[in-house]
Amino acid sequence: MASYTERQAGSRLADYLSERAQVLSIALFFAICILFFSATTTTFLTTGNLLNVVRQAAPILIVAVAMTLVITTAGIDLSVGSLVALINALAAILMAAGLPWPVVVVLMLVAGGLIGGVQGWFISYQGIPAFIVTLAGLSILRGFALLLTEGYSIPIRDAAGFFWLGRGEVLGFPVPALLAILVAILGFIVMLHTQYGRQVVAVGSNMEAARRVGMPAKRVLASVYVVSGVASAIAGMLIAARLGSGSSNAAQGFELQVIAAVVLGGTSLMGGRASMTGTVLGTMTIAVIGNGLILMHISPFFTQIVTGTIILVAIWMNTRLFDRNWRFARRKPS
Amino acid sequence: MMAAEAQATRGRGDAPLPPEPILRLRNIHKSFGSHEALRGVDLDIRPGECLGLIGDNAAGKSTLSKVISGTYIPDVGEIELNGRAVRFSTPSEARDLNIEMVYQDLSLCDHVDVVGNLFLGRELKRGPFLDQKRMLAQAETMLAALEIRIPRLTAKVEKLSGGQRQAIAIARAASFEPKILLMDEPTSALAVAEVEAVLGLINRVKARGVAVVLVTHRMQDLFRVCDRVAVMYEGTKVAERAIGETDLQELVDLIVGKGGH
Repeated sequence: MASYTERQAGSRLADYLSERAQVLSIALFFAICILFFSATTTTFLTTGNLLNVVRQAAPILIVAVAMTLVITTAGIDLSVGSLVALINALAAILMAAGLPWPVVVVLMLVAGGLIGGVQGWFISYQGIPAFIVTLAGLSILRGFALLLTEGYSIPIRDAAGFFWLGRGEVLGFPVPALLAILVAILGFIVMLHTQYGRQVVAVGSNMEAARRVGMPAKRVLASVYVVSGVASAIAGMLIAARLGSGSSNAAQGFELQVIAAVVLGGTSLMGGRASMTGTVLGTMTIAVIGNGLILMHISPFFTQIVTGTIILVAIWMNTRLFDRNWRFARRKPS
Repeated sequence: MMAAEAQATRGRGDAPLPPEPILRLRNIHKSFGSHEALRGVDLDIRPGECLGLIGDNAAGKSTLSKVISGTYIPDVGEIELNGRAVRFSTPSEARDLNIEMVYQDLSLCDHVDVVGNLFLGRELKRGPFLDQKRMLAQAETMLAALEIRIPRLTAKVEKLSGGQRQAIAIARAASFEPKILLMDEPTSALAVAEVEAVLGLINRVKARGVAVVLVTHRMQDLFRVCDRVAVMYEGTKVAERAIGETDLQELVDLIVGKGGH
């Protein structure tokens, strides 16, 4: 007589940990970075410096939140740095021409969305790989910025409200950082709790399945580039407001920092797997490393080497060290 | 085949006149490049009836079912739903007319949880947000009604076994009041008990008046649930048999082309 028993359900804690392995590992790495720089420099762990870090991280975080959506659809947007520079320069030019700053802000947001939309149209409706379209965008947009400014830096004058966006403080906390936190919270809610976020994940996970169940798959795919265009516009204006000028040379290498932050946070380049928390932690890690290396009197150029190495190691861990469920992949016995 | 006989007698007993077809396909052609996948197929699908669609690999079974579900648009041919000509340009148009399909590749999103996959494309919302609580509760009832057991409904689908994934794809198609339910190899990865559950499910939805189209290689399943069988061969329909008037040997002969044509 056989007796039938039910299998016990697995431990909830183990499920929880394995699902969040990537966020936990980046959180650990972030903590190690903070401890390291606190121990090796005297100035890192001061309020002034930490506020400086979040102020400087703000533009990266804002675009990284949007880039998380883009990479979740298995896409990439290499043009964000150039778009930041173009918006940065264009905003300064328009304000120098006498347009009131609130009008300029609205115009720039629209321009960012439109430029993103054009790239999204090529990617989604014309089926050109995102890598190619946005690589072309990287060149074209930076070129426009150079053409408009002829390489000069354009000063912004008499726009106190605009400067407040980049330099102001609310209760001692930098305004750009507050904006970035708001954007991150918005990104978190959109990704986890709205139909649009679900559509973005579905399109990245299985585009044909998304189409078959009636999701507007192509429109969703194009829309993430509009989002990243708008985010780049916000970042471009924050940088212009902080520096008080617009320059075609702003945000050099910005796209790499953003992509490094997102990938470091555990969002998969293959699409479908996203982590907003990871993106925030990834951005802060990149910012802390950049800041810490300068405080340690290491050449600022070294930051570029570190950023590149982080991308490589993060992707390496992403593909080799962990399996697709972010558990440590078991080595095959040789 | 006791079950087959029982099925046959019942089939003759309570339906003297076949009901009007809910879906009528006429002269359906579909080519992919130079390959003619369908070469003029006529097919009637009646409510409350299960039609078995069989044939060798590449006979056109899946293509035909995808034409019905709106995934493929036929090059030539008419589709009539309830006597009215329709033309689906997307699967969602067919879905809006209560035509649901279980795809052979399942069409699940691996990175979305079980609940999310069941409600994929028709998420329940509360204001601007997803109503996760209500979806979870309804998902539990949906799966319970089909006797499908998944330990954790908030697990990502990629962590589940092949059978569980197939069960979710079936639950998704069968749970939203379909009028026509297309199933492309729904039992290929299922365990014994799960196959029984799916066959039971087909009989239950049939009883509710749903038209079921079952594409399968499992001949034994045909005699358990189907009322009619259509045999495809090289992109054409070569034969149609009421299940009571045929047997396994005849169907096998028709599939491989040893039949009377």
